[in-house]
Amino acid sequence: MLLGIDVGGTHTDAVIIDRGEVTATAKVETDQSNLIASIDAVLEKILSSKPNQSISKINLSTTLTTNSIVEKKLEEVGVLAVSGPGLAPSSFSNDLGQHFHLIEGSIDHRGSRQQALNEAAAQDAVTDCKHNKLKVFAVVSKFSPRNPEIEQTLAELVSDQSDFTTIGHRISGRLNFPRRLATAYYNAAVWRRYNLFADAITQSIKKHKLDAPLNILKADGGTIDFDNSRKNPIQTILSGPAASVMGIIALSSITEDAIILDIGGTTTDIAIFADGAPLLEKEGVSFGGRATSVRAIDTHSIGIGGDSAITISPEGKLMVGPQRQGPPMALDGHKPTLIDACNVKGLCRLGNCDNSFAGLQELAEKNHLTVVELADNAIDLALTTIRDEADKLLETINQRPVYTVEEVVHGEKINPQKLYVMGGPAAILAPLLSKIFDLETEVPDNYAVANAIGAALTKMTMEVELFADTGKKTMLIPNLDIRRKVSSSYSLNDARKDGISELVKYLRENGHPEIADQNISVVEAEAFNMVDDYAVGSKTIRVSCQIRPGLEEEIKIK
Amino acid sequence: MKTTRNLGVIFFPAYDWAISPTHPEREERLLYTQDQLREEGVFDLPNITEYKPEIATYADMERTHFCFPGPQEVSTESHLVAAGGAIKAARLVMEKQVDRAFALVRPPGHHAMKVVHGNRGFCNINNEAVLIEFIREHYGNKKIAIVDTDCHHGDGTQDIYWHDPNILFISLHQDGRTLYPGTGFSDELGGPTARGRTINIPLPPNTYDEGFLYVIDNLVQPILDDFKPDLIINSAGQDNHYGDPITNMNSSAQGYARLNEKLNPDIAVLEGGYSIQGALPYVNLGIVLAMAGLDYSQVREPDYNPESLRQSLEITNYIDKLCGLTLKNYFQPPPLKVKPNQYDVRAKTVYYDTDGINDQQIEQIMVCTNCSGVRHLTSKTQRNSSCMGIEIPIDACKRCRDEGYRLLEEGRRNFKGTTLKFVNRLEQEYLTINEFELTPMGRYYF
Repeated sequence: MLLGIDVGGTHTDAVIIDRGEVTATAKVETDQSNLIASIDAVLEKILSSKPNQSISKINLSTTLTTNSIVEKKLEEVGVLAVSGPGLAPSSFSNDLGQHFHLIEGSIDHRGSRQQALNEAAAQDAVTDCKHNKLKVFAVVSKFSPRNPEIEQTLAELVSDQSDFTTIGHRISGRLNFPRRLATAYYNAAVWRRYNLFADAITQSIKKHKLDAPLNILKADGGTIDFDNSRKNPIQTILSGPAASVMGIIALSSITEDAIILDIGGTTTDIAIFADGAPLLEKEGVSFGGRATSVRAIDTHSIGIGGDSAITISPEGKLMVGPQRQGPPMALDGHKPTLIDACNVKGLCRLGNCDNSFAGLQELAEKNHLTVVELADNAIDLALTTIRDEADKLLETINQRPVYTVEEVVHGEKINPQKLYVMGGPAAILAPLLSKIFDLETEVPDNYAVANAIGAALTKMTMEVELFADTGKKTMLIPNLDIRRKVSSSYSLNDARKDGISELVKYLRENGHPEIADQNISVVEAEAFNMVDDYAVGSKTIRVSCQIRPGLEEEIKIK
Repeated sequence: MKTTRNLGVIFFPAYDWAISPTHPEREERLLYTQDQLREEGVFDLPNITEYKPEIATYADMERTHFCFPGPQEVSTESHLVAAGGAIKAARLVMEKQVDRAFALVRPPGHHAMKVVHGNRGFCNINNEAVLIEFIREHYGNKKIAIVDTDCHHGDGTQDIYWHDPNILFISLHQDGRTLYPGTGFSDELGGPTARGRTINIPLPPNTYDEGFLYVIDNLVQPILDDFKPDLIINSAGQDNHYGDPITNMNSSAQGYARLNEKLNPDIAVLEGGYSIQGALPYVNLGIVLAMAGLDYSQVREPDYNPESLRQSLEITNYIDKLCGLTLKNYFQPPPLKVKPNQYDVRAKTVYYDTDGINDQQIEQIMVCTNCSGVRHLTSKTQRNSSCMGIEIPIDACKRCRDEGYRLLEEGRRNFKGTTLKFVNRLEQEYLTINEFELTPMGRYYF
């Protein structure tokens, strides 16, 4: 049996799933100032109805790290950055705390050291950090995925006084220095708070006599195992929307290009699927004022939901949202909302419909409209705005740059065939959305706990990048900290094999003995001939392997 | 504090296209540039956005070139995407989606001439000319200046605009006596209707940043101030770099960035540049930052050593004199001995180095006092025994327009070659006649 827990903004949900069936659910209010108490409470509630010894896996989606960053509950970090020539430091040094140290040294795009690390300056920076009693560090150099030496030296220099050091190339093997820098900083800044939370979770699980592996949800629609998350807490940010998206996959058999709408009280989240799989942000999610390298499902949030207020400006412009004025008047609110408009139109009968009618009528009369006209216009405006935003997102995705003639000329575009709608007002609005989007529309059952179901069923994901240079006879897999000599005849095929086998080996040694080669997908594999001084016919090889987001045992709940 | 500008970058490295595996124009030419731009996080900067190229159409090509026997035979999909990248840059700027645009695309184009039979100097389609003709077709006839800072003379662009008084072409390049294509001398100043609208500055080998910047300040800028273009386009070749394997100049990434900042082009289009590891990543980064109005002062090649690159006093003095002479050539070009309202004839031979084609051309231009003049040419190669092109220019007067149709009728009756191309830019009518079979290419709409 699988146990999924989703700590959301308002509610904490839990579900138990037994061979494809939801056998128990529980919901408690989230106490954002005490997440452990909320998790305790929901465990208490759900386990009171179910024997717990048969739970085989626990998946938890939590807002701890997200909140830490949003609320700036961040520990001061000693940031040691080595950028070398390029962009001015002012373009990447903002929002990284009070202890940012830029140190001389440089590595180029091929991983050649062009300027040695200024170790004396590095030592001065470390002394300064010591003076300021800093205990966590982030060490990041430009092009460290091509040559990690400078970062390794820096990590060594801080090791005496560091409780925890985030090393840039372990965060991501992809090239993007400012993102790696910001991600490493956040990871170090939330590390202690996350680990205290993790200790409490361990206690809580023990208290409830659960003895199953624990995994934490990530923003990419996958999980990370609990021990690993203690070193990579940044990976747990923004897992909530990802849990919902995975939930809808569990509740509907999505196989086509599709648009997913999660309509809440205040906002609607839009996600796009290609061939049944959610699309990820191109490089990583932006968060807390900085772009990061944390992989995330590409969701787009707009300020229209069931509780969005209907207003008319003095100039006569009708608006729905973005501010939430809920609850609706039908439930004794003070301003007419989208749900009140639905009540007026007879699309639903929530609470006291007379209140909805009265509220809209007052606004309609002031603006020389009939109450039905106003309700029609408001609903139409809300839904066309959602459609326009979805179209915009789709256009952005279809216009993403590609780098081969083949892809530009013959590349396939995403062409949604179906609309999936979930959230409170989903059933009410689905028929209208179907018309406005001109798409077949499905509202899955059980969507009220879709997020917890998504959490329960989500599988582990991981990505590694391999980079080889046969001129220099080196092969690196930065985030596994692998760097070794290869022969000058090392091929793209060798690189594929190494990428797969190293990822499998790492996962087997880190709590996933079930992983085999066939679980790994090679998502990018390129080799280019280099014609230069090193050797004619040497190659630069880039391979990217991953375990794609997916559901445990392909369980479908109907 | 500099003023930042919104910059659109159309990055298209064509990773699946090469002339041949060891040719300088091969797959990974922009790979290290992409590595550098990615690692620097350039596309995360708030005022820089990356765009996907459009795909140019055959209509875009036929509006610009006489393609013999047709656009399909002289281009591949990669050329259409590179030209489409330039078109995207034009569209972004003309529709004010961005302030500036940089088409960082390959294959390059500035050696492609008015007549195209194949590939010469690594080029099939002239990306800048396709861009300009796209603008003139859809946004009206404009005054446009092209400043070509590739190390090789932009002979293709020069040929296309030789007779066009509305397009100012300025090329800075290594002296043709020392480098391909061996043209671009100070006395090449444009045809009779566009005298002084072609300006060449053949620079001596080993010219350093200061030499290029001196030319911009003391020659290019005064000419631009006088010409007052609606748009400035930079043919941004990067082979003046000291590390380039096939040229002999001493420019650096800093020099290129500074040059771009001074020139302040609306649109830049990548041309050559074959030091793909040592120069391109840094030069492209410098240009991108300069165009976006960002600080480029810390962009530097790993092996940059200004002391070893500085030009001699002799070069400095030579450039100074050259600028004086060239400035005079712009303002008071020596007149040509032509008769107004009659055809002026030039015969030329064009060699296609990549494809080994020899083209014998005879070109006639009406020395019109009211417009750019109707153009009529014949072209003979080993492949296409005889071809004819007739072009009524976009600013044609009634006489030249009617003369164009008269030439067409005469061609229909008497022409015995393989292909005749008729282009009426004024009324957007395009015809191809193959072996006397009339095939309307139709009207092309935006």
